[in-house]
Amino acid sequence: MERDNHQVGETEGVKICDPPCESNPPADTLATSLSLLGNHMFPYPLERKHRSAVEEEPADSLSDVTAEEESLDGEPHSHQVTTLETEETESSECQNNVSTQQLDIENEDTATDNERSDSGEFVVTMLAKAKLEEQGLGVKGGSSPLLEAETQEPPAFMSHRDEDVTADSWRQHRKHVFVLSEAGKPIYSRYGSEEALSSTMGVMMALVSFVQSGDNIIRSIYSDGHTVVFLQKGPLVLVCVSSSRQTEQQLRGELLYVYYQIISMLTQASISRIFEHKKNYDLRRLLAGSEKILDGLLNLVDSDPCFLLAAVQCLPLASSLRDNISQILQKAITPNLVFSILIANNQLLTIVQEKTVIEDSRLEPADIHLLLNLIGASSAFQAGEIWTPICLPLFNPDCYFYAYISYLDPPECTVCLLLLSTDKEAFYAVAECKRKIEEAMMAQNSLSLIAKVQSYSVSQVGVSDLRHFMYKPFDVPDTYQQLTQFTSPEMEAPYSSEEEKMRLLDLYRYMHSRIHSTSRPLKLIYHVAENETLLAWVTSKFELYTCFSPLVTKACAITAITKLLRWIKKEEDRLFIRYPPKYSTTPNPSKSSRGGKSDQQDSTDNGFLSLL
Amino acid sequence: MPEVSKMKKPDVKLVLLGDMNVGKTSLLHRYTERKFKDTVSTVGGAFFLKQWGPYNISIWDTAGREQFHGLGSMYCRGAAAVILTYDVSNWQSLAELEERFLSLTDTANQDCIYALVGNKADLTDPRAQLSQDSDEASKDRMDCGEERTETQVLSACPTPPASPASLSGITLGKQVTPEDAMALYGRILRYKGLEEKSSLPAEKMCFETSAKTGYNVDNLFEALFDLVLPSILRNKNENQQSPTVDLEECRGAKRGRPGCC
Repeated sequence: MERDNHQVGETEGVKICDPPCESNPPADTLATSLSLLGNHMFPYPLERKHRSAVEEEPADSLSDVTAEEESLDGEPHSHQVTTLETEETESSECQNNVSTQQLDIENEDTATDNERSDSGEFVVTMLAKAKLEEQGLGVKGGSSPLLEAETQEPPAFMSHRDEDVTADSWRQHRKHVFVLSEAGKPIYSRYGSEEALSSTMGVMMALVSFVQSGDNIIRSIYSDGHTVVFLQKGPLVLVCVSSSRQTEQQLRGELLYVYYQIISMLTQASISRIFEHKKNYDLRRLLAGSEKILDGLLNLVDSDPCFLLAAVQCLPLASSLRDNISQILQKAITPNLVFSILIANNQLLTIVQEKTVIEDSRLEPADIHLLLNLIGASSAFQAGEIWTPICLPLFNPDCYFYAYISYLDPPECTVCLLLLSTDKEAFYAVAECKRKIEEAMMAQNSLSLIAKVQSYSVSQVGVSDLRHFMYKPFDVPDTYQQLTQFTSPEMEAPYSSEEEKMRLLDLYRYMHSRIHSTSRPLKLIYHVAENETLLAWVTSKFELYTCFSPLVTKACAITAITKLLRWIKKEEDRLFIRYPPKYSTTPNPSKSSRGGKSDQQDSTDNGFLSLL
Repeated sequence: MPEVSKMKKPDVKLVLLGDMNVGKTSLLHRYTERKFKDTVSTVGGAFFLKQWGPYNISIWDTAGREQFHGLGSMYCRGAAAVILTYDVSNWQSLAELEERFLSLTDTANQDCIYALVGNKADLTDPRAQLSQDSDEASKDRMDCGEERTETQVLSACPTPPASPASLSGITLGKQVTPEDAMALYGRILRYKGLEEKSSLPAEKMCFETSAKTGYNVDNLFEALFDLVLPSILRNKNENQQSPTVDLEECRGAKRGRPGCC
């Protein structure tokens, strides 16, 4: 994810500001349109106070922490943003700081003030138009004139596909995600139907191409309470409109996941091929039916910190049991089988890899997240054995693996076996592996042992003020091919409700953004929030986020962390997959390179070309 | 699901094909689990094993999405029966069968049998609206099935398919009549180069079902299972090892089918 986080920013970016426009009606429309919008009233205790607060620069030992204590006040949000902007605009040449909108553009050439005003106007007009159009559309019942007559619309699966995009409730969604093609064709919208949003997406594309025409890339737009982030990947444009307080980098990382999920279904090669042949191809033809997978991914991104940490959480399990199960998987192999993965309760139980594969590369956490999401999103029909092509975008974005997915414990369906082969025709051979695994597990009674396993409670650590934590060890050099993992206890009271969970995650996201800030990264941050106190600490060995009760003292927190680290060390064999086991299937000389892993011609032979 | 004990090499292969959202997964789910529930779009293909007498029948429930189109021919390889499914309330779903799915069946067995199934009959046909969940309803089901076959026979003259307006007008929303399906069946036989006389008659191979109410579903699967029995026996005799069938053998074996059921 990091690779895409270019340093854009306040210091490098040239702001394109709107012309003074307080009395300008289009500007009002812009404000609403841009932010998609309505008032963002998400209760977020973190005001951007830190800008003026003193930050602790890198500190390696806990003892010399001086904390940045933040208190809360009821100061309205917009105030903060305005102040912030004033500061920023002062440093740029642009003088038009009346409005609260600002475009943050990675500029490669210098534009004159004049041109900037023009572009501002352009944006205003475009968005105002779109807004009006959409309102008009709403009256007509949400159908768009751009809707192609020939498309036969599949019945909506989910209520939010039917959402009225002109309604306030639609605007108030915390995070919108849109995917469109370079021709401006809608591909996906998290809320509302793509047709109803085609003009909004048209505007997004207009923004992208307008900025592009000046040899620039649009990266983000900040408005009052909303952040709009753009990500261009090949022929696809992904846009996120968020009223969460996440940073641009975090949002861009999430968009990248959406892109990867699309790639995992279609491969990068076929997407570029399709759009090379036909610029205005409607990619929804190929993605139809996959909306739920994307919806599921976005929900997971919002609710599971694994995406934020770019690490996998495995099911805590006695290492002896995990080893036994790994050995079972290691024994059930067939030619061209490359990964055997066992998942319980949507958490990784073990992963066994073909030897030559792991020598070349490792399975990235992101690929595992995508696999887990696929399984979660398609679990409604758990009875059969599924055989499906799937691309692991970080492993190789252009080729398919063939995934065998089957539950070992029907009808409960909590233990899922995933076998990845490079051979399209290997279903029966791979299914036979499952048979072997099933038999061996039955003989060892593994399933009932797995059924007893649960996530752990923070109380097991035995530190009274500690409410929750996330710990991500960094790979030590000699085992750098190991999977990046993290561990975290269940979220318990007071974080048992969805809202509270989300609030805690938002706090963690904030801490994460401070630690990983591109301009001023921190090593240690002690943050007193309204209802809790958080401490995040990153060293060369680990990254740690902790949440304490609000009354904890700094000294207490430091002792607690020492205890926590000791506990994790003691439990690490249970909390992590220490050494992912390997196997070697029948030697196959062509298998030594990454590209040769999945058979290349499969992506061409998968029917996509035949459509063109 | 499939228990370890009963996992053997499947004796014969049956494939469900058809556009997305026509109800392939629901049909199979109704038959195997006796339930109708919301399904999510199938990913790739799902493999099921059904014990039918002494035989193991494998059923491939495929994804109707274009995304997985390329896999269709792989799922169809060596199939003894292909269930081409459409939605009676959606003309396009029938047209898709001919345009998109028929060519996938090229890898099926030479003597593969084809069934055309119009699902969602409950939307258009009052008879299909009766819930047929329980076992005691099975008698009714058979009656309904027979009744339906009769109506089909009465109006057996196939009409050109290009007329979605040719609906009998009984119920709202019906876009595909049994006649349309039978006409397509005729064209399938022609495509396969099969004689209409020596093949199974259209009336027998065109079904209208409702996975929601269970209407005609058991009928469909059981009729097909019986029809593939000869194929199983041939496999047993000649080709125990491979799940794919030697095409040469099949050609020699002739397609003499008993007129059961």
